[in-house]
Amino acid sequence: MVMRRTVGLVAAATATAFVVAGCGGGGPQSEGDEKVTGGAIVLGVLNDQSGAYSELSGRNSVTAVELAIADFRAKYGDRAVTTDISVRSADHQNKPDLANSKAQEMYDRQGVDLILDVPTSSAALRVADVAKEKRRLYFNISAATTDLTGKSCNKYTFHYAYDTYMLANGTGRTTTEQVGRNWYILYPNYAFGQDMEKSFSAAIADAGGRVVGKDGAPFPNTSGDYSSYLLKAATLDPKPDVLGTMQAGAELVNVVKQYNEFELRDKGVSLAVGLMFITDIHSLTPAALAGTTYTDAWYWNFDQQNREFADRFQQETGARPSFAHAANYSAATQYLEAVQAAGTDDADTIVAELEGKEVNDVFLRNGKIRAADHRVIHDAYLAQVKPQSEVTEEWDYVRILDTIPAEEAFRAPSPDCTL
Amino acid sequence: MLRIENLSAWYGEAQVLRDAGLHVDPGEVVTLVGRNGAGKSTLLRCVMGLHTGWRGTVELGGTALGNLSADRRARLGLGWVPDDRGSYATLTVTENLTLPPTVGPDPWSLERVYEAFPALYQRRNSAATTLSGGEQQMLALARVLRMGARMLLCDEPTEGLAPLLVQQVGDLLREAKRHGVTVLLVEQNLRFATSVADRHYLLAEGRVTAAMENSEVRSRERELLSYLGI
Amino acid sequence: MTALLQSTFNGLVSGAFYALLALGLAVIFGMLRVVNFAHGAFYMLGAFGAYVLLAEAGVPFWVALVVVPLALALLGMALERAFIHRLTRLDPLYNFLLTFGLTLILQDLVKLRYGVQSSPYEAPAGLRGSVDFGLFDFPTYRVFILGFAVAVCVGVWWALARTRVGMIVRAATERPELTRALGINVGRWITPVFGFGIALAGLAGVLAAPMRAVNPLMGADLIIVVFAVVVIGGLGSIFGSVAAGFGIGMVQAWAEAYLSAFPIVAQTIVFIVMAAVLLWRPAGLFGRAEAPA
Ligand SMILES: Nc1ncnc2c1ncn2[C@@H]1O[C@H](COP(=O)(O)OP(=O)(O)OP(=O)(O)O)[C@@H](O)[C@H]1O
Ligand SMILES: [Mg+2]
Repeated sequence: MVMRRTVGLVAAATATAFVVAGCGGGGPQSEGDEKVTGGAIVLGVLNDQSGAYSELSGRNSVTAVELAIADFRAKYGDRAVTTDISVRSADHQNKPDLANSKAQEMYDRQGVDLILDVPTSSAALRVADVAKEKRRLYFNISAATTDLTGKSCNKYTFHYAYDTYMLANGTGRTTTEQVGRNWYILYPNYAFGQDMEKSFSAAIADAGGRVVGKDGAPFPNTSGDYSSYLLKAATLDPKPDVLGTMQAGAELVNVVKQYNEFELRDKGVSLAVGLMFITDIHSLTPAALAGTTYTDAWYWNFDQQNREFADRFQQETGARPSFAHAANYSAATQYLEAVQAAGTDDADTIVAELEGKEVNDVFLRNGKIRAADHRVIHDAYLAQVKPQSEVTEEWDYVRILDTIPAEEAFRAPSPDCTL
Repeated sequence: MLRIENLSAWYGEAQVLRDAGLHVDPGEVVTLVGRNGAGKSTLLRCVMGLHTGWRGTVELGGTALGNLSADRRARLGLGWVPDDRGSYATLTVTENLTLPPTVGPDPWSLERVYEAFPALYQRRNSAATTLSGGEQQMLALARVLRMGARMLLCDEPTEGLAPLLVQQVGDLLREAKRHGVTVLLVEQNLRFATSVADRHYLLAEGRVTAAMENSEVRSRERELLSYLGI
Repeated sequence: MTALLQSTFNGLVSGAFYALLALGLAVIFGMLRVVNFAHGAFYMLGAFGAYVLLAEAGVPFWVALVVVPLALALLGMALERAFIHRLTRLDPLYNFLLTFGLTLILQDLVKLRYGVQSSPYEAPAGLRGSVDFGLFDFPTYRVFILGFAVAVCVGVWWALARTRVGMIVRAATERPELTRALGINVGRWITPVFGFGIALAGLAGVLAAPMRAVNPLMGADLIIVVFAVVVIGGLGSIFGSVAAGFGIGMVQAWAEAYLSAFPIVAQTIVFIVMAAVLLWRPAGLFGRAEAPA
């Protein structure tokens, strides 16, 4: 009796946890004759502000957008199309349904002109549907799925920073060429992980490598244990040269800790990580990841321009920016520039303004907003974590091995996409 | 020794005891008889401080027990022998005996218990619930004697026992009485009751409806038995 | 064969965490009849305690292994006195909700201070590297965890089986009311037992710090599995919780090693086992139907 109740209680309590959700306010906007609706531009940052992705993007992305607004004001002063620019933000807790309702609320009730960020692919796709239906702009930054520029693409959605193809193409191809041909791929068994596994397998095969084994680990992995897979990796025949882990966040941390525990590097199995943020390296310490290769969309200490932005960002937040932070800054900036150039915030006009545009800013190098699928392409980087002995400054953990030119970094526009 | 006045008790809305009153003098053995469901066990639980919904007065040795917790009452010398015998499955026979603290001036030693009950000695390292019903009953009685309780509250100790064991229970109670132990005994077996007790109370519908001497019980035996539905 | 041994060993290591956590839950449930949802949060605090001591005061792992569980025991006892104890007379649901709320508060407090990102922690120098077992070698730290957890479980078993306090805990767990009526002040032992259960959770947390991601949510997923373990072993059964802990660890590891073609099975195996056990023995493998009084 007590037992049956307990099981029920656990389920009930867990369900309760999912229901708890924040809510935002804000009245409807009046339509006016101004160039800009209501005389104001409202940018909405919709992302994870409390969970696994809140460090790599989260509230600090709101700060990044605020920096973009400040810079825009400073640049245009009185000539700005409007001075009334504000930011709204909401926590979608990585839940698609919540993302959907928050996005509707932002567009309908808070007068948001542009939604930014939206990590978690399933949530990102739901917001794309809302943008399409409401005919409002949406720049996705932090989600990885190529479906945003594939079968789920639409006229109002742009995909900004990275995607699974970029990660696989960069890390999969280069690592195969430079580190070893035989791979063992470990991925979290859900949409993102399966996507990553497919993209990596394809990229590895293209580069002449071979996937000798692959396993989908439970997601979420409640035991936190990956030893079965790590042991298996060491015993496969032929022995893999590279362990490619597609886990992210805390699960990546578990894989890496246990990769080190089982001394796989000493056994000749290098580590390649599908998706990693500077914040991950910071928490694992570079020592735990030394030598690991991965593809980065942007690195804060790459050049003077990046570093200046990183200094300002650190002043505001206390941390160095991840590529997601820089991309949010860039996306907000490019949107405001487009509104300024077009003299209106009418979504269709802005889309026309943006399509095909070539851009360079602190985040976008050799950037181009592709008209065909709204993929924003730019240079990407193959990065390697420095050994502890070479780390001389906090947060400066990686060495950029190679710059992958924008045209190569991203896939060609998909035939699945019709805007 | 024990005085109960105007004791009422409830299970939720349902009233089980209605202004019940009785007293047991020091050294006396007194039985409480009544039909199934009359509230006998509830009355003992009230005395023991285990029942929550109650009102009235319970005094032990002249001091009101009021809201004292069950463990404090036990340490004042109350020894409860519950109707289910109260054996612990997770404790050995010896542990069942030594679990309670000693609370009186004249506790039985473990040796004395084992001398009196060789069967318990033989099974001393087994879980108490593996004993036979009769052995468990002896264990429950031996436990309160080992505590040195001055006032025993025995809830139907002969229920379901073979005649030989019933006799043994009787011997034990008489022996306790000889040592000055006071006993309130809930009993359905009138023959047994008259063989060990000095006086008797009848509990009916939550009230104490009669106080009887041994002779009265014997003479009214047939009437009482039919009343009790036995 | 080697592979089987290796995965068994790994299963035992995961199982060691389950066992320590389930043991604490079982002792607490037995004595308080409280299903402590916050157990996972205390596990997390254990790991964070080790991290904070090292990062901010340079206190090494070995000291943390003693200090952190003790500190958490004190915190647990304070929380028991302040909140849990007030609700024990009510429906168990109240305390379940209370400890659930406590979990969210503890998680958020840690989040506020340290963020959601995992904090770094390394095994102490003496426990790095691996031990050669002939057929295979195995990380030293894992060998240590297994030995340590088994020692703790045996120690707890001994204390329960052979000491007077242990006897009282067993008696109060089995029949709280009778035990009070036999003159034992059960209430006096409730707070220390709660603290002890929490200390076990904290200990598991410290042990986890070098091999698991140390972040505010690290206990949140784990605790669900541990609940399943406790249900499988029999709610309140000390032996059952430990046996089921190690058992489930092994079953999970085998499923991951041999059923990797079906990740969904490895993912849900615990709950499959739980459902099967409940159908077969509704009180769990070592549980008994609850006795009265
Ligand atoms: N836990 C309980 N909840 C509700 N009612 C109860 C409870 N325990 C006993 N009762 C009811 O209270 C009344 C008195 O019960 P009690 O056990 O005191 O009777 P009793 O005289 O000891 O009977 P018996 O001879 O069967 O042992 C009965 O009607 C019983 O059904
Ligand atoms: Mg009765």
